[in-house]
Amino acid sequence: MLRYVLRRVLWAIPTLLFITFLVYVALRTGTDPVKSYLRINPRATKAKIAQYIEVNGLDPNYVRGYWSWLRNFVTGNWPRSIKGSREVWPQLKDALANSLRLGAAATVVGIAVGIFVGVYAALKPGGRRDVAVNTSAFIGISIPPYVSAIILQLLFAVYWSRWFGDTLFPTSGVYPPGQVGFDPWLMAKHMVLPTLVVAIQVIAVYARYMRSSLLDVLSSDFMRTARSKGISERRVLVRHGMRNALIPVVTIAALDVGAIVGGLIITENVFSYPGMGVYFLSAFAQGDFPLLMPWMVIIVASVLLFNLVADIAYAWLDPRIRLG
Amino acid sequence: MKKTSKAARFGVALLAVSFIAASCGGGSDEATEETTAEEPAAEPVSYPTLEECADVSYDYTFTPPASAGMTVTYDIAPEATWEDGSQITAADFKATWEASLNTPGSISTVGYDQITSVEPGTSDKQVVVEFKAVYAPYKGLFGSLIKAASVENTQDVSGDYADSIPFSGRPWKMKSWSPSQLVYVPNENYWGTDKAVAKQLVMVPLPDSDTEAAALKAGEVDFVYPQFYGGIEEAFADPNITLKKEFGGDYEGFYFQSKCGPFANPTFRKAFSMSIDREALFQQIYVPLGGESPLQCGPIVPGPYCNGDEFANAYDPAGAEAMLTEAGWSKNADGFWADPSGNVPDIRWIINTGNTRRENTQAYLIPLLQASGFNVRADNCDAACYFQQRLPALDYDMAMYISTAPPDPAYLTPSFTCDQIPTAANNNQGQNSTGWCNAEASDLLHQADYETDDAARATLIKDALKLMAGDAIMLPLFQFPKSGFWRTDKVGGPVDGELNNYTAFVNNHLWTDLDGDGKVVIGAEQWPECLNPITECANSSWMVWTTAFQVMPGAYATTNDGRYVVTNLLAGEPTVVIK
Repeated sequence: MLRYVLRRVLWAIPTLLFITFLVYVALRTGTDPVKSYLRINPRATKAKIAQYIEVNGLDPNYVRGYWSWLRNFVTGNWPRSIKGSREVWPQLKDALANSLRLGAAATVVGIAVGIFVGVYAALKPGGRRDVAVNTSAFIGISIPPYVSAIILQLLFAVYWSRWFGDTLFPTSGVYPPGQVGFDPWLMAKHMVLPTLVVAIQVIAVYARYMRSSLLDVLSSDFMRTARSKGISERRVLVRHGMRNALIPVVTIAALDVGAIVGGLIITENVFSYPGMGVYFLSAFAQGDFPLLMPWMVIIVASVLLFNLVADIAYAWLDPRIRLG
Repeated sequence: MKKTSKAARFGVALLAVSFIAASCGGGSDEATEETTAEEPAAEPVSYPTLEECADVSYDYTFTPPASAGMTVTYDIAPEATWEDGSQITAADFKATWEASLNTPGSISTVGYDQITSVEPGTSDKQVVVEFKAVYAPYKGLFGSLIKAASVENTQDVSGDYADSIPFSGRPWKMKSWSPSQLVYVPNENYWGTDKAVAKQLVMVPLPDSDTEAAALKAGEVDFVYPQFYGGIEEAFADPNITLKKEFGGDYEGFYFQSKCGPFANPTFRKAFSMSIDREALFQQIYVPLGGESPLQCGPIVPGPYCNGDEFANAYDPAGAEAMLTEAGWSKNADGFWADPSGNVPDIRWIINTGNTRRENTQAYLIPLLQASGFNVRADNCDAACYFQQRLPALDYDMAMYISTAPPDPAYLTPSFTCDQIPTAANNNQGQNSTGWCNAEASDLLHQADYETDDAARATLIKDALKLMAGDAIMLPLFQFPKSGFWRTDKVGGPVDGELNNYTAFVNNHLWTDLDGDGKVVIGAEQWPECLNPITECANSSWMVWTTAFQVMPGAYATTNDGRYVVTNLLAGEPTVVIK
């Protein structure tokens, strides 16, 4: 297993380089970083423009330019943002932390509840509970996040404050206005509504996955064999049924988590939540190359990482699969 | 082989059809010749494309009136200090001048480029500013002073103020700024009597009207300043929320880009403009916003610089039709106006996507304009693309947007003079994004900048507005309301006092914290992404409302009724000497 992981990590390096090169080329052709710089610094001197080109690795030759950018990136010599000339890492770090917190909370809650609900529905296929779960899942999938966000804001903040004098959960931000310093309780309170909005979708999707996967497994021959051995129904379900049904679900979950790192653009916007989605939108609108490239690297790296996690989880859950 | 044979057959057939078409068309050619023989030949429309525009230049130079210059002497109030107790001196005026003039990416050098020196007078507390020539809008200069000691090099401050504006000469000082909040605390060394009342002023981003309404209703913010729209009062309706609506310096209009594209043809542009029924549009779009009548002044709001009828009676569809017909245009089979060579101009109308009012305007007007024979189509993009890329690049034919006019009409000069059209001569950095060049109007606007007599200056501006109307470079639509909504149970004091001011809610230091939570919280519709008040960072009303105006002292302030008044930074009115 260790050898497999090492080999995958080693493979990930050229893959990461290749994809970031493609991203570098796409951003250069799509946003024209020098033009973006001149738009925000219209009277920049030739020396300033040359310096910008140098630190951002914007050599006319894309390969040379990419290596120059990569050298600066790896050595921590990151150029400052075009707009406002700010250091990139502090902004990116805060946005990443916010998105990871929100994404992790929503994923954990969403997948756990989704799997539970899916199992619950699959145990009595066609029954009332199955119909109820299926209908709810379809509704959950169909409601766009901005609609559920506004409904939850109205319910738990606007009307709640009208009925009880104060809001139950805040509608925006990471902390209440004016808060300085770390406060996990306040932070958690501010995360409730955005987490719920994302979790509604995740629950709905994973309930459907889990139900379908478990129904497949439950009708398998090995399940009949397990039952014929006299193993208790609970043990058959947990040890044999769920373990096998979870294999495709876990694979999808790992890939989904990788994508969540990129930010939950709609939810973050509605809740004024300064995460990776908001970071990307703002940077892209300005064509801010120094902000965009590190964002892209993190997204690519996280997708590769969670692909690896998916494969390892796959092997762990299914002993028939041998990695090597 | 088989393919070649098919291709050959197709070629022969095509040739035959061409011959038939040519022989059929002979009659009409003759007819055209007959017509043109009787009437003077009309020139086909020829206009530069966007690419060709790069080579378009204008032979225009304004010769300033002979003058030995102007001196303005400011006496700084003896008690005026920065947040650390150090004196505000002539060095800060000089730093502001140098930074504004020389910093690469300076938001505007207008006015500062007329100054030849800024030096201390009889003491550090006196500033003597020498101008090359008479500069009438001098009150707009030194409105936001930077602290000389806050920067290393006053010739280039583009790398400064990355995370904070660390100084203050106003009642608040900035405590922190992040993507999620801006926090101000009282400036203990503020010398004025109008000290900050609340313990803290906090601003938080609320990116759209729905979020603003939810946050205000939930009591998470005390005040919001949303852009007005139909139904906004209902959206914010709550027993604890009140609002004030005023008509200030914001106005919306149509702009016709006349450097390149179809509107470079003045006849076509004028005819197009005359075909827009502003009154009907007003009823459709602006009456629901509380509008009473269309704006008639031009790119300026009613006041001393317009008569109020400059753009009146612009709608004349019959006149437009006659004008085009006389110029040799005719309607083609699709009912679109085609120039004498048969070319139908493609008119690209740009707005920012997602702006419902502008999208509704397009939905209402495009079919009407098409029915009038104009081949108009929506060509929209998002706000960043619209305002930062396509407008400055003149990459549009017709645009619709809101402008905020400062009290002094000097902003018209960079926006509408020939020498400010982006060309190679000004390194494509000119601010005249309509591409309109009328030498007479340019002269008038430039002369207004040299005229210190208010009445004479107003006449020059009004004359320039008439020329704008005559050339149909824009159509004013509506003096847009400014609206503030606030929680009456959470914030008190003169909340409604300055909502019409160019500097918006700048008097927030006088607001009281009614609910006793120790802070006044303002929701900001647009968030300042960076803080440098000299560079393009400041190219946003919300940026200056939320940051620069809160901490930077200035020689003059604007009032709610659109005047300039001396602030307590100065001991009195500056002395102006024209040489």
